[in-house]
Amino acid sequence: MSRVLVVEDDPHILRLISMWLERQGHDVREARNGLAARELLRAEPTDVLVTDVNMPGLDGLALIEAALAMGHVRRGIVVLTNRWDHGEIRDRLAQWHVHVLPKPFSPARLSELVDSLATAKDGDSPSSVVASEPRPSGSG
Amino acid sequence: MHDGPGTPTSRWRHFFWDGVLPESLGLCFVIIILSGFAGTYLVAEYLWKQQVVGAQRAETEALAQTLAAALGTVAADEQETGATMLQACGTALEQWRGVHVRALRWTAPDGVLRFSWPPRVPLVAGVPTGTTPDAGAARSSVVTKADVHSRGGAAFGTLEVETTGGVAGARAFVLWNWGIAAAVTLVVFVGFYHRLRRHLRPMVAIERNLHSYASGVEQELLTLTLSESLGVPARGWNRLIEQLVDLQRRLQAAPAAGAAQNILERFESATFRRLVDRLPHGVLWVGENQCITYANAAGAAILGRPDGLVGAALAEVVDNPAVVQTAVAARARAASGLSVDHTRGSGEQESTLRFRAVALADQAGGGDVLITIEDISQLRESQRARDNFLYHVTHELRTPLTNIHAYAETLTKPGFDDEQTRKECYNVLISETQRLARLVEDILSISQMEVGTARFDVGDVDLLRLLRQMVQDNLGAADEKRIDLTLSLPPKVPKIRGDKQRLCVLLNNLIGNAIKYTREGGKVQVALEVAENCVRIGVTDTGIGIAPADQAHVFEKFYRAADDAVQAITGTGLGLALAQEVARLHGGEIHLQSELGQGSTFTVELPMPAAEHGPLAREPAEVTTR
Repeated sequence: MSRVLVVEDDPHILRLISMWLERQGHDVREARNGLAARELLRAEPTDVLVTDVNMPGLDGLALIEAALAMGHVRRGIVVLTNRWDHGEIRDRLAQWHVHVLPKPFSPARLSELVDSLATAKDGDSPSSVVASEPRPSGSG
Repeated sequence: MHDGPGTPTSRWRHFFWDGVLPESLGLCFVIIILSGFAGTYLVAEYLWKQQVVGAQRAETEALAQTLAAALGTVAADEQETGATMLQACGTALEQWRGVHVRALRWTAPDGVLRFSWPPRVPLVAGVPTGTTPDAGAARSSVVTKADVHSRGGAAFGTLEVETTGGVAGARAFVLWNWGIAAAVTLVVFVGFYHRLRRHLRPMVAIERNLHSYASGVEQELLTLTLSESLGVPARGWNRLIEQLVDLQRRLQAAPAAGAAQNILERFESATFRRLVDRLPHGVLWVGENQCITYANAAGAAILGRPDGLVGAALAEVVDNPAVVQTAVAARARAASGLSVDHTRGSGEQESTLRFRAVALADQAGGGDVLITIEDISQLRESQRARDNFLYHVTHELRTPLTNIHAYAETLTKPGFDDEQTRKECYNVLISETQRLARLVEDILSISQMEVGTARFDVGDVDLLRLLRQMVQDNLGAADEKRIDLTLSLPPKVPKIRGDKQRLCVLLNNLIGNAIKYTREGGKVQVALEVAENCVRIGVTDTGIGIAPADQAHVFEKFYRAADDAVQAITGTGLGLALAQEVARLHGGEIHLQSELGQGSTFTVELPMPAAEHGPLAREPAEVTTR
């Protein structure tokens, strides 16, 4: 069982992702914005971080920066965004090795991705395990 | 099609235009004048002769009657005496009253000739009276007859008298006088014609040359010169041809410069200059040395040099090497459409100019360049606004689509088929579908209202009833947050003209926003008051308020304050933009008073009756009335 932190300001999406990941047997923690997520991360590391980008308070990009700085994400980061076509967001995401799922996304695909990250070999850092370029059409 | 040399048309053209007519005129005049003289002479002679012969005939008859009477008195018995008398009369009367008595002849009743005087001149036979057309003496003779009777009435035959008059003299007189007149006239005409012909000959030659040049027979200008012997006009013509040849030679030596000079001269003309000066686009004429030789008023104004640009280097007035390079490239390639955009200034002062360079020479590598300058700042701004609008629209659409997509997929998976999950999925699908529909409707409405294609259903609107309904509809949302939603109405409010559904959207957005951005336990008050020419609807809340910097932008489409308190609340940023557009189309407006952290008041002013003041009243094609 892996611990997954889901950060999403839309309550319906947050509820749906949690539902899917819990059915896969993950220990899911929820946060409605970046500030709350950072506090959770600071208190307790997570295996996988699933986060939205556009959020009040602390946005997803700042949260990823903070998480990487803390080193509290063990397996990998998945970014959900409906602004993947925004040049600045794309450029910033490209400098990290994160997976990007453009919205609308498939919850089954997200679930598979989180499973694959959670079952990755020990010792792989998030940056090495999930090294990929963000692609609008699917995962990296 | 050209006429051949032998066709009738070409012959007439040759006659009229090639100089045959002028040269033939002299001969024609001579023939006409001589014919006139001859005809006039013949008529005059005829009339003269008629007069003379008439007088001659009268005298001859009188003479014949007198002689016959005298002969009758003496010849009754003495025929010899009668003959002697006639002999004496004839001799004595050779000249009688203007006529010459040429012959007398007495014939007895039995036809025997009794006497003839003078015997050497026979009487003209067969010509009883009048003139004869023959030549000689007979032509002017008159013969008349008189019967000779005695006093007793006995017939003594017939006396014939022949006379000749002054007809020949008259002809000579007429001929002489008319001859002198004709000779004088002829001399005068010949002199006039000679002088006229001297002047006409060079003209005819010039005309013939021009005709040859126009028809393509001659292509070399120098072959059109005339002989100097033709006089002053020919010498002037030759000078003109020489100047033309010289000009042609110089133009051929520098065709590009010649063409440019030609166009530049046109620019210098007042009419053309006025025309170019009134163009909204700047026009620069740049020479090979990259200096400006002409600039219209718009060009000088756009480049901030109203005192003029002529003589300045292009690089000096446009601080962008790409513009100069474009001009150089256009000249080098003889291109007609090279353009470069140049952005200058920053912030509010930023503007973008599009420079388009057109080479004027047909051949690459030389010649002047025409540069047009167009201020495309507004175009850029509208493109930016369009892109921004599309960006926000797609972003806002993706949020409900993400929910619909994810929950629909969830419904299809076997692990999520319990009753509670299915119900939850259906509820989200329905609410997100409604959200999507509202969003699409809002985007469509605001776009249509902005471009003026929205349809309005205009009728009488009871604002009291409308506001009660709006407050009623929002009571549920207010109760969820324990917000005190109150409505304050005057007892009587006149109906206004407007679109009820659009006004519902306006009020719903204002009241909904007030509830959404007010913390739990707060207050929202809706009040209506009637002013002299308008009604005012105020929506006041004790919510989070709007920062002064954001107040100027809250009515823009998709604008949402960056404040975390705002971002934490779901919204599209279309509600206030839509409300303002509805108010504007009703001739009204929305005012905002707000203090951060204290609350906001949105006041809608609608004129009475609204539809007579707003754009709705001026756009009948898009309005249906009830």
